[in-house]
This record gives sequence, structure tokens and C-alpha cells, in this order.
Amino acid sequence: MENTVVKINNLVKRYGDLVALDHFGLEIKEGEIFGLLGPNGSGKTTTINCLLSLLTFDKGSIEIFGKEMTPSSYGIKKQIGVIMQNVAVFDELNVYENIDYFCGLYINDKAERKRLVEEAIAFTGLEDFKKFSPKKLSGGLLRRLNIACGIAHRPKLIILDEPTVAVDPQSRNKILEGIQELNKNGATIIYTSHYMEEVEQICTRIAIMDKGKKIAEGTNDELKRMIKNTETISIEVLGLDEKITGEISALPHIYNSEYDGAKLTVYCSGGKHNLIRVLDVLQKNDIAFGRVYSELPTLNDVFLEITGKALRDKE
Amino acid sequence: MFWHNFRYFIKCGFKSGNLMFWMILFPIILGIFFKIAFSDIYNDLTSTEPIPTAIVELEENKIFRSVIDTINDQEYKFLNAGFTDENTAMELLKKGEINGIIYSGEKISLTVAENGIEETMLKEFIEQYNLREKIITDVITKDPMNAEKVISELSKEREIIEEVPVTHGNTNNFDSYFYNLIAMSSLYGSYMGINISTKNQANLSALGARKNCSPVPKAVSLTAALCGSFFIEFICSVICVTFLAFVLKVDFGNRLPLVYLAAIIGGSTGVSFGFFMGSIGNMKENTKDGLSTAIIMTLCYLSGLMTGDMKAIIAEKLPLFNNINPAAVISDSIYCLNIYDDLDRFFTKIITMIITIFIFSALGIIMTWRKRYASL
Repeated sequence: MENTVVKINNLVKRYGDLVALDHFGLEIKEGEIFGLLGPNGSGKTTTINCLLSLLTFDKGSIEIFGKEMTPSSYGIKKQIGVIMQNVAVFDELNVYENIDYFCGLYINDKAERKRLVEEAIAFTGLEDFKKFSPKKLSGGLLRRLNIACGIAHRPKLIILDEPTVAVDPQSRNKILEGIQELNKNGATIIYTSHYMEEVEQICTRIAIMDKGKKIAEGTNDELKRMIKNTETISIEVLGLDEKITGEISALPHIYNSEYDGAKLTVYCSGGKHNLIRVLDVLQKNDIAFGRVYSELPTLNDVFLEITGKALRDKE
Repeated sequence: MFWHNFRYFIKCGFKSGNLMFWMILFPIILGIFFKIAFSDIYNDLTSTEPIPTAIVELEENKIFRSVIDTINDQEYKFLNAGFTDENTAMELLKKGEINGIIYSGEKISLTVAENGIEETMLKEFIEQYNLREKIITDVITKDPMNAEKVISELSKEREIIEEVPVTHGNTNNFDSYFYNLIAMSSLYGSYMGINISTKNQANLSALGARKNCSPVPKAVSLTAALCGSFFIEFICSVICVTFLAFVLKVDFGNRLPLVYLAAIIGGSTGVSFGFFMGSIGNMKENTKDGLSTAIIMTLCYLSGLMTGDMKAIIAEKLPLFNNINPAAVISDSIYCLNIYDDLDRFFTKIITMIITIFIFSALGIIMTWRKRYASL
């Protein structure tokens, strides 16, 4: 897990006055599932497009497998599999033909290609749909076909740009499991998403992006340790007065609390048994309460604390 | 890699319902409509009573007068034309005693009171007369050596209307509409050309982006797609001409192989034109298709698909345009097969098309190849 597969140095990309990538850099090691997380418009797809030499950039350099990436780096391209955000298949070809076509752009040997195409079909669970036209596939199956077209040639580096957008939960889980399996089989993965749950679930290392900048990088745990919040307690409770909320706020390890008349939210930083201490205060004051939640911080909290805004709008 | 791309491009092309509709079905359907419509007119031309028509001479036109006299002298004539003054002619037209008034002068024009089969025949007669007069005038001024031959051929055609079997020349004046139809269907190859550009450029389609990420050089991918398009267009042109010649019995004379050649080269002109169009700008494929359709229809209109005498008007006002308008060049190449004995003019048109193919293809490849995008 030590060889550097992707190295981006000081990348700057401008669209007119808009700075899409602002001195962006990262290094991805072999065997990682590297997550690029950020809200829409944060620069994830621009990074991927620059990485693939589809887009020109104003400054910086990109190396893949230790070599500079250019549009004519065919040797490097041969080792990369790309699954774009938009489904890119031919409507005129059936499932098998689509995979065979894209695999054929990388693999010349017919027998080997046939084997790889069959493997990709089995891997994505499209065995029963080989002869189907893409137009007849559901959204989830279409995404799976899109993935099969990108991975059939067994690339060493797989880039997935928001592959689960508009996919039902069942297909989403299948796709995420598939990505982990590809990684187990030896592929390095770059995964972009604005769904923090997905990134948390599968990525071994994560870079959080906002406004073209990398604002944090590390493993899931490392990122969460960067922030003050370690626990968020929510309690459904009526009729709290300022005296009681003040008493709660004064408890050790509690750095903030909010009460909207129906729900009390308490933010804790470190410490143990914070929930018990908060409930003790309510019981001592003879306050009845409803449901109680205690949540560990998420990547959204990380993003919220660093940027002052939520990672994505509530859906 | 070339063959892999070529094979799949052809597969996609023949499986594309939209493409096959425009390139095969549409010309066939339109051809059937033309045949039905023109058969009625043609049958009426030879079987109905002569059409009562008034001729008003605004200026002396000896040639036209002699044509009318010749028609009037024939036993089976389609026109019963009488010379009169304008007021009388208008009265007769209002009363419905004549179907139209032909004004004879430096130019020949027609006034009709209503739309009907007789009026259409009169209109066609005037258009054909004007076209032939223009051809003869052009030949006499530009190529006097061949004037006699051309006039002889045109005379033979006139005799055909009189139901006298002749040589390889076309036997029906309405056949020029079928030539324009071939030109139009050939130019529909531009949809395929646009498709090549769209599916190979990362900023125009997701497929283009995916292909640009592959290790296949764009030049290979583009060349394979262009060759595939030429092949598909070849098949479509052969089907189209075969249908017109053998099912609809459109008479292409005894030079049918050369008609095939013109249609095939014409189709490739359409493909390269579309490829060039597709390479310009960042518009979506549908927008480019719409733009291409508008341009094709305009070119076809100017070549006479909708109005028979338009070609003569353009030849008079903008003579150079007919030599570069692909629709006119394609239809002319077939038309001149039926007019001229020697093939010089035909091959000039073919060479013009080949040069056009080369220029459009080269420009398209230059604009697409090695392109990197500032935005997607």
C-alpha cells in the first residue's frame, strides 16, 4: 500500500473569473479507496476531469503511476477505468455489446476480451440482461452497466465520479459492495460523492473539498478527531426554562446547547457519560422527556465545523 | 483497434432507428408520395382533354410562340392555347372558361385562379420551359460546340411527353424531383457525421468523455467512424436508388450504375458535411441536427426540390452557388447524365463532391483531433 498511484500538485483551474480548483493537491497510494467528498460545485468532477486529461488546467501537475498524465498518455490510460457521473453507453447496442465495445478499446485479444466481458457481467449481476437494450434497463441496472463498461478491462486504477446518483438504495448497496470487492482484487479506487454516508462506508482515506480547495484529509477517524464535537445529544422535551438549560450548559464537556421549545440539542466535546449527566439534570428538575438520541460526529459535522455550512442540503 | 471501432460504428448505425428512418425510410416514403402525385399528373398530362389556356404576349417571344404553335398543331395535345389580350384573358379566367393565363415576354409567367391538377400541369409546363430555355442559353453562350447535341436531347425529351419512346434520356419531366430526392437523402448522411463528432468529443457527450479516457488515439477513432459512416451511407444510397429505379420505376435511363455512383459519393458528401458541422461549437447534438436539417432543406429548396424553377433562378442570379451547393451538385450530376452524351460534366460534379468530402473531413478531423477542453 505504499506506491503512489496518483499525485496532484498545486492544481489551479479557472473558468473565467471562477476558480474551480485553487492550488489543489493530493496523493493517493496503491490499494486505497480514496474518497473525494464535497458539496455540489466544490470541484470534485473538475479534479477528475483534469486527472483524466479531459480538461486543461492553468497551473500544477498531475502524475499517474509515476508518469506525467497527458492526453496522449495511452500507456497510462490503458490502466485506468472510468465510471462517469452520466451514464455513457450506446443505446443501439445491447448490454453485452456495450461492455464488449468498451473492453475492446483496451483489450485486443478476442478470447481474453470475451472472458473479461463475461466476468464483468457476472460481477455486476447483469447475467439475465445480456441481450437487453440499455433503454429497457431500470436506473439501477443502467448504472451497473455503466460500471461494467468501465471495469471490464480490469484496470489498476478505477475512478468513479458519483456513480450512485439517482440510484435506489438496493442498487446503491450493491454498487458499494462491488467497489469494495474491486479494491480487494487489487484496484486502487478514487470515489467522488456528496453522499457522506457512502464515503464513510467504503473509503479508506478521504479528502473533503469546498470551493476548489482541500479543506481536510485523512481517514474517517482522523477527520472526526479534527473537530471539537465528539457527541451530539438530542432529547424531545417540553417546558424547559432558562435555568435548566443553563444548568445543562454548565455541565463538564458540554460546549453548546440549543432548545427550540420541543427538542433539546446538546453538543459535547470529549468526556464520558455525557448523556447520563444531562438526563440526571432533567430528572432532578422533575422534567418528563420523550425520545433520546446520542449521535457520534459524522463527516457532515466535520464539514459543518470547518466551513460553517452543511455538506449537503437535506434531501 | 480500427476494425473494432469500425465494426461497432456500423452496428450502431444500422441499429439506430432514427438514422435509418431519415436515411432509408423517409426518402422511400417521399418517393412513393412523389410517384403517386406525379403519376396522376403525368397520366392526366397524356390522357385528359387539352387544358384551355390564354396566352397574353407582353413582348414578342418568337421561340415561345413557336413552341405553342407546335403544341397546338399536335393531334394529342395537353394544351389548348389561344393568343388574346390581357383583359379578355382575365374575363375568361374569371368565368372559368380557361385554367390559366400565360404571359409571354422576355420571361414566361403564369396566372391561375385556383389550385388543381390542370393548374399544376400548367405550372410544371412553365417551369420546364424556363429551365430548358436557361439550359439552352447557357450551353450556347458557354459551350456552343455542344449546343446542337443538347438541344437535340432536350427535343427528344419534349417528344417523350408526346409519348414517343426515345434513348437513354429521362422519360418524365417530373424525374428531376426524384434526382433532388436522392440529393436530399444523401445529405441526410450529415446526421451520421454530426453523430461522429458528438460521440468523440468529451465536451459534447458522456460517451465522448469515456472514449477520450480510453487508450485509443482520437485519430483512429475518428477515422474508423468516418469510414463506417461512408459504408452505411453507401448501403443506404444503394437501397434508395434501387427502390426508386426498380420499385417505383423512376427512369434513370441506361446509366443506372453512374446514378448509383453519384448517390454514393453524394451520401459521403453529406456525412463529411455533418462531421464538419458537428465539429463546430459546443451545441448539443439535437441542436446541431436541427441546424443541419434547416441548412439541408434550404440547400434542397435552392436546388429545386420544392420549386422546379428555383434552380434556373439561382443559375441566373448566383451561378457559382449551384456549383458549390451540395444538393444542386448531386442532383445535377444525375440530371446531366440524362442530358449530355459525354460524361465530362458528370465527372466534374463527381470530382466537386470528392473535393468537398476531402475538405469537410479534413476540417472536421483537424478541429476534433487533439482537442483539449477548457470546460465540459
